[in-house]
Amino acid sequence: MKKIHILHLYPNEMNIYGDRGNLLALKFRLQQHGIEPVIHFHHAKQALPQKIDIVLGGGGQDSAQSDIQNDVLRVGNKLHRLAEAGVPMLMICGMYQLFCHRFVTQDNQEIKGIGIFNAETIASNMRMVGNLKVSSEFGILYGFENHSGRTFLAKDQSALGKVLRGNGNNGRDKTEGARTNNVFGAYLHGPMLPNNPNFADTLIALAAKNVFGEFKPTKLDDQLAELARAGASKRAY
Amino acid sequence: MPGLIVERLLPNYLANMLAQLPEGVVVITGTNGKTTTTKMVVELLRFNGKRVLTNPTGSNFTRGIISSLTRQARITGRLPFDIGVFELDEAYAKHFVAQVKPRFVLALNVMRDQLDRFGELDTAAKLIAQTLNEATEGIIINDDDARLVKYAKQSGKYTAYFGVSNKLRKHFPVDDEIVAVTKTTQKASTHQRIVELIDFSGQKVTFAISGHKHAVELKLTGQHNFQNAAAALALAYTLLPQVSSKYLVQQLASIDPAFGRGQKFTLKDGSQLELILVKNPAGFRQVLASYPVAQKPTMFAVNDNYADGRDTSWLWDVDFSALKGKSVPLTSGIRAADMALRLSYDNVKVKQVEPDLQAALKAFCNLRGDKLLITTYTAMLKFYKMLIKQAGKKL
Repeated sequence: MKKIHILHLYPNEMNIYGDRGNLLALKFRLQQHGIEPVIHFHHAKQALPQKIDIVLGGGGQDSAQSDIQNDVLRVGNKLHRLAEAGVPMLMICGMYQLFCHRFVTQDNQEIKGIGIFNAETIASNMRMVGNLKVSSEFGILYGFENHSGRTFLAKDQSALGKVLRGNGNNGRDKTEGARTNNVFGAYLHGPMLPNNPNFADTLIALAAKNVFGEFKPTKLDDQLAELARAGASKRAY
Repeated sequence: MPGLIVERLLPNYLANMLAQLPEGVVVITGTNGKTTTTKMVVELLRFNGKRVLTNPTGSNFTRGIISSLTRQARITGRLPFDIGVFELDEAYAKHFVAQVKPRFVLALNVMRDQLDRFGELDTAAKLIAQTLNEATEGIIINDDDARLVKYAKQSGKYTAYFGVSNKLRKHFPVDDEIVAVTKTTQKASTHQRIVELIDFSGQKVTFAISGHKHAVELKLTGQHNFQNAAAALALAYTLLPQVSSKYLVQQLASIDPAFGRGQKFTLKDGSQLELILVKNPAGFRQVLASYPVAQKPTMFAVNDNYADGRDTSWLWDVDFSALKGKSVPLTSGIRAADMALRLSYDNVKVKQVEPDLQAALKAFCNLRGDKLLITTYTAMLKFYKMLIKQAGKKL
């Protein structure tokens, strides 16, 4: 059976907003598409595995973010090389912020990121919490945001999508998330992949084309996701 | 007089009124188990002759307590009670203890919950720490929750510990263990515990109180409530030094489940329906571990109103693989589809997605046999009313 290797970054620390669901969604959908998922968890101070076809990272608490920050910097070069090679990655919330250049805290301390996204995040004392709706090239994306950092993209940095309801990156410029090559950053919990199956299959297709040269999708039954999305579209921010 | 008006007109009303209580005030806080634990403490104190003032379920903030005070005070302004036992939400506890200094604070646990409200788990934890700092005589702490133990040490207060035995530890994961993928074995605590949950089998539960073992058959269901009972015993034992531990444990036997927390309703066909509240991943996991969800028809209802937590992402931190390959007759609530979607990713089939609570309950009650209705808070309130109406009882 064909195999796809998923690397899940810091599952013990960056796990607070249900982003574990993204891993479940990839695992489940890969199996449905006839591909065997092989899951690798990455913890601080460990070596990265040899084969990496998809990378996932989730949201965590501020304290967890600073616990793992040094390790992110340590493996940063390898992640850059994977990004350049076109490996699809999805970084949510806290991990998205660490994939930008830096995070500036309330007391003006700088937390360095690895800069795969040409962007930076500034702490604010307003928390942006609510049902987020975003238009993107992968269709409408639904999720729930919960962050106080405001992320600002550099002029040459493309966003993942445009905010239709909610705050997204910073509550000001209507951008949500970022995309560099096949690396995606987003503030969408929900979790993002089960609620946006189209996008989940996009990640799978990108990985499958990298590894096998082609992707022959199976038609999956996404009626429940469609029903959940119809519900989400009606919820106020 | 509504609590809000009194609170505005007489800002010291709460402190002045409660200062009359000869045996003072104790506070119970934490993420999970507050309501049931408070009920147990109140009943244990009452069994032993204390006149107890407590807050009505669900109004665990200062205004609710003031409303209940204005109703219960005598015309002279005297309160006919010996002691106040209050369940307080993490956020409101801080405001309450700023006005009223509790003799003891009992802290149950800190778990991820309502993060749309608190932002982070650490925020909720710090609120609990601030509450602990206001206790005048001492604090009672879950020895298995490392966050609470840390805050207890920092507070410098007299601390009494309760916990579960090493053997049972795996049944009661703390927050960090809920989603972590690597299992770490925590170091066994070296604290002297005044109460320890030693063992349970079915409804038979064994506690050790200051080293003496006592077993009891509980009416309260759910293994989490066995842990809550240890907490309640720890506080009651501290407040009632003259009562023997054996009596306290025996007295637990007659206590019924709290509102919507495992309450049983008899339906028209004679079958029983258990109404079980879930609020967060830890609680949901405890419920799945405690009740026979794979054997009895089970309906899951999820709302996303403020009191439920507006973000339903937490459902993905609950492991439903115990139901793998099985089917669930119904999901309901505003987020019925999200619940069904979550189950589908653990290979659990959902036969019907019915967001309307009334229609769902009707269809569910038509199924044969004893049933489990597992529901978030605002849906629970509505189901409760419908079930009471159906049973022909008064609210």
